[in-house]
Amino acid sequence: MKIKEFSAYLPRPATLKVKKELSELVTLFEFENDSGRPLMHKPGQFIMLSVYGVGEAPFSVSSAPIRESNNFELAVRKIGAVTGIMHDLKVGDKVGIRGPYGSFFPIQKFVGQDTLFIAGGLGYIPLRSLLHYQLKHRDEFGRIILLVGTRNPKERIFIDQLAELASGKDVEVLETVDVPDETWKGHCGVITTLIPKVRIDPDKTNVAMVGPPIMYKFCLGECLKIGIPSNRIYVSLERKMKCGLGKCGHCQINHLNACIEGPVFQYNQIESVEEAI
Amino acid sequence: MTAYTVYLEQLHAMLAAWSKEHQVYVPTAVEGGYFDFKPWREGVEIAFDYDLAYNTLKRYFLPPKEDLVVFDLAAKTAEMVFDAPKQLLFGVHPYDIRGINQLDQIMETGAPDQYYLHRRDATVVFGLTPMRVAETAFWSSMGAGEVDRGFDLFWTKTGPSTFLVEVGSMRGEKMLLAAGELTPASAGAREAARKAHLKIMEMGRSNALNFDWKQVPRLLDKCWNSPLWQKKAELCLACGSCNLVCPTCYCFDIREEADELLQKGVRFREWDGCMLTSFALVAGEHNFRAKALERYRHRYMRKGKYIYDRYGELGCIGCGRCVRACTTNIANPREVFNTLWEASQHED
Ligand SMILES: Cc1cc2nc3c(=O)[nH]c(=O)nc-3n(C[C@H](O)[C@H](O)[C@H](O)COP(=O)(O)OP(=O)(O)OC[C@H]3O[C@@H](n4cnc5c(N)ncnc54)[C@H](O)[C@@H]3O)c2cc1C
Ligand code: SF4
Ligand code: SF4
Ligand code: FES
Repeated sequence: MKIKEFSAYLPRPATLKVKKELSELVTLFEFENDSGRPLMHKPGQFIMLSVYGVGEAPFSVSSAPIRESNNFELAVRKIGAVTGIMHDLKVGDKVGIRGPYGSFFPIQKFVGQDTLFIAGGLGYIPLRSLLHYQLKHRDEFGRIILLVGTRNPKERIFIDQLAELASGKDVEVLETVDVPDETWKGHCGVITTLIPKVRIDPDKTNVAMVGPPIMYKFCLGECLKIGIPSNRIYVSLERKMKCGLGKCGHCQINHLNACIEGPVFQYNQIESVEEAI
Repeated sequence: MTAYTVYLEQLHAMLAAWSKEHQVYVPTAVEGGYFDFKPWREGVEIAFDYDLAYNTLKRYFLPPKEDLVVFDLAAKTAEMVFDAPKQLLFGVHPYDIRGINQLDQIMETGAPDQYYLHRRDATVVFGLTPMRVAETAFWSSMGAGEVDRGFDLFWTKTGPSTFLVEVGSMRGEKMLLAAGELTPASAGAREAARKAHLKIMEMGRSNALNFDWKQVPRLLDKCWNSPLWQKKAELCLACGSCNLVCPTCYCFDIREEADELLQKGVRFREWDGCMLTSFALVAGEHNFRAKALERYRHRYMRKGKYIYDRYGELGCIGCGRCVRACTTNIANPREVFNTLWEASQHED
């Protein structure tokens, strides 16, 4: 047995650099690693973030993997203890991080192909990492189609960035809200209704889909219907997570650990896993 | 395996000697006709013929509550903390050593759990051939009646005051011989130990799985929709007792506390259980296993299939502790697997 004076549970320090409100409940945080080293994450991976004395929680890294920078971004919705206190952090405050952990979107498989991004609600946060990577290396990828669905206009996040993308040539953006209000002029209805609206070539398109559990139930079927095989569909599954190391058991999906084999799964890996979708 | 003959009158001096460096724990009778491991002291009577230790021995490697990291909240710094007292478990039955070996495997896989490994390394395990079988136990039919690793010494009582002691590690042999040379076991003594082992395996068969345990994973493959889950789960109190007493249940929660002045904090892990309603509950009140049926089924799938698919052995060693602990009499892997097996025989 290898015994080392080392703890996988020991967080490393990071400093809050930028904080920006994205919606009433969601805030974008940019942290810098105190180590002076980049995070070295891959798109779709997550970290465990600690606010000492309060707790620790998993968050997807939302920024693209960049070797030249020690900074990384998270977008966090205020919903409980850790996420609540995070919203009170001030620039310059210290937090602890562990990771990056988990599986990721295999960038190489997306090269030279079209990508259909399907982002439901906060699902845009992890997808943004892959999207930004593709934009940074735009020539290496085919068409980028981005479908965004939000419950209502008030909950929309990254509004300015989406507007910028929509007005540019790099990404084809289609957005919808489930329940509109008087400010909303765009498409209405659940995100599934956007899928038949895009013309795609199923033989050279990969799908990267992240959203709430209910979204998967409908969107996966819709993707298969337009001819995309399940081994070209990638989803990210959220589960309760405590350790991120495959030990605490909370993230189990049948025999799988969402923190090790996931959160990103190729759909054919989990099609027959009863508890997955 | 090297083996020695040890006489009961030699044991006392040995225990006293081992106690100098280790906290020694031994099986002893407790209230209600049960047995449990307790610290050995002068005068503590060892129950060599105990049938089952009420509480699981996992607590010596994975304590119910264990500190992981301490914080200085003012300076916002964190430090790891390890605690691994030197201890000796004397008299562990083979099925429980199997349980420990399984935890070893799980904790060493992927990111090795240094907290567990520290404690495991500081713990000496002396096995003991059982002389009685608990009414609820079925380890004999689960392939858990024998063990060939995971112990430092293995003791078998071969007569009223004699033991055959097999050596499992150099550390064990050194401890055994610390007080002086011992007689190497004769062929006759080895034969007596073999017979004692066969006898207990035979006794264990009175309460058994009705089919080869290696079939359990493939049986469960076909049982996701069995009506049994609902029938049992209806009575489940979600008390988590079956998780707590189980030697191979290791899931834990991670929490933390800060002192009143908010100067120091500590993050610790604490036993958790998949049968508790909060286990898969996340912020926003979404529960990934909200129904009793889902939780009950998950536990048996882990015991009979998921662990097997990952580690090549069943996640249940047949100790029978959960059977004893469940107040509504639904926790019983032997009965669940037998019932499912029975039903599957009628299907084909
Ligand atoms: C892989 C992954 C990526 C995630 N990415 C993001 C993200 O980018 N942005 C974002 O806002 N949220 C994300 N979440 C959800 C986020 O982790 C939860 O909202 C958060 O844990 C709630 O913590 P809390 O302390 O505020 O809530 P509390 O209800 O006080 O939760 C207490 C603890 O339970 C656990 N827990 C509770 N809810 C969840 C949950 N939904 N998922 C996992 N563990 C949970 C955590 O350990 C948490 O600290 C992600 C979850 C996972 C599993
Ligand atoms: S499931 Fe029950 S019988 Fe099996 S190892 Fe755990 S406590 Fe023992
Ligand atoms: S001990 Fe029995 S009642 Fe309690 S959680 Fe386990 S199965 Fe349910
Ligand atoms: S989060 Fe602990 S096992 Fe996955």
